[in-house]
Amino acid sequence: MRLLSQGAEAEIYTIRFIGNKVAAKVRGRKKYRVEELDTELREGRTRREARCMERAHRAGVPVPRLVACSRFTLYFEILEGVVLKDLESIPEGVPREIGRVLAKLHDAGMIHGDFTTANLMLAENGLNIIDFGLSEITKSVEGRAIDLLLIKRSLGKGYPSLEQSYVKSCSEGDVVVSKLKEIEKRGRYQIRTIT
Amino acid sequence: MPIIGIESSAHTFGVGIVENGRILSNEKSVYPIGNSGMIPIKVAEFHKKSADEVILRSLERADVRLKDISGIGYTMGPGIGPCLKVGMSKAKAMANELNVDIVPLNHGMAHVEIAKRLSNMRDPLALYVSGGNSQILKLDSERRHYLVLGETFDIGVGNMLDSFARKMGLDPAWGSSVAKTATGGRYIKLPYTVKGMDFAFAGLMTKAVELSERNSKKDVSFSLQETAFAMLCEATERALLLTKSREFCVCGGVAQSERLRVMLGSVAKEHKIKFGAAPNEFNADNGAMIALLAERVLKRGYGVKVEDCDYMQRYRINDVEYLAD
Repeated sequence: MRLLSQGAEAEIYTIRFIGNKVAAKVRGRKKYRVEELDTELREGRTRREARCMERAHRAGVPVPRLVACSRFTLYFEILEGVVLKDLESIPEGVPREIGRVLAKLHDAGMIHGDFTTANLMLAENGLNIIDFGLSEITKSVEGRAIDLLLIKRSLGKGYPSLEQSYVKSCSEGDVVVSKLKEIEKRGRYQIRTIT
Repeated sequence: MPIIGIESSAHTFGVGIVENGRILSNEKSVYPIGNSGMIPIKVAEFHKKSADEVILRSLERADVRLKDISGIGYTMGPGIGPCLKVGMSKAKAMANELNVDIVPLNHGMAHVEIAKRLSNMRDPLALYVSGGNSQILKLDSERRHYLVLGETFDIGVGNMLDSFARKMGLDPAWGSSVAKTATGGRYIKLPYTVKGMDFAFAGLMTKAVELSERNSKKDVSFSLQETAFAMLCEATERALLLTKSREFCVCGGVAQSERLRVMLGSVAKEHKIKFGAAPNEFNADNGAMIALLAERVLKRGYGVKVEDCDYMQRYRINDVEYLAD
């Protein structure tokens, strides 16, 4: 058992699980909150994340396969690959692929909630979406537009093919993009997003 | 050479005197809120009446003569317009009479600055929680501006606790009474809203008031406080890890809450981050924090002309250049 990463909300370990190497995402106890609230949040979020990963998978979005789920822990397959954030440059064709998988995710009735280059991984089987910790099952146009906004911002300027392929593949792509324009005008997000 | 600071953004008229980073005095008069909240014009009238007396008291406590004051700072905003104007007028009159430097300052920046100085930190992440504001702040990499990493979508956490206290008929109607009522309470589920590093309190209060019809004040107060503070802790924890901060302070009126400080301390301890807060008299609105920031800014030559002094109700911390070091 080895600690792979320490987040604000959870720790990810690599473990052996029924003979296979898998990742275990554990939402540990937060001593600062009252026990009832703590349990409720950790249980609810673990369940929601599992549900989102399964739903994404069933809709054909490439995600790590969920192996098992217990009260506060998710077990999923370990992907060998590199997250886009760690790449010097974005390979050709990838922005278009991002637009396509995001459209698929949204059409499956969910949003990612933290859709940045840190949560996109290039693996053997292509581009995968990872970390569904902030995902929600919702058709909210605002939520979708914010997914799009976050990825545009974290990629930096350019890459028009991302938005184009998103609009082409998503059933309500136009509505989302016009919402995105509206949000960008609010300006607040420009100052407040750190990359 | 002593510097005087005047704070009047809300219910407190505060006057502090500082010399070489040492606080010599910190006197205040606080508008009695009662059960009607703050009526801007009434608070301003109250400040007008008590201003001179508080200034004199502060000079006496510091044992400094008025003519020895070498610089003046005052709160430019954010805050309640008529109240800000009283403090500004006093500061301007004094600057004219003494013919010394004057500087308008951002209220939130002063809160962070005093917490930082009194807990010996250089570049902490700051949770600024008061009546009107609830923000997670950090200086940018060049240390020229504060970044607002997260903040409330609607009302400040202090405002939420005060309004709840009023609706429950607690006396005095503010956060500390909610804390007292909460002692020994039981947890009831309330709406919990954190989006990344942002949070919202209005819905939480509405629901708590609604639940108070069927539950004891004790249980609802307890649950409200626990839920609100847990939200602040979660958002702050995320910001701490994202910015890889090694130091972290809490400031503003709500930082007076013992329970909040314990909870934040637990977050910091878990990640081995240094945590601190100023003593309580410097967490509530006060003049010393204005004097402390004024001294640093004036020392670097950023005084302004008296006729250019102004006040602003909306004066966001991320729009202000950081000039304290």
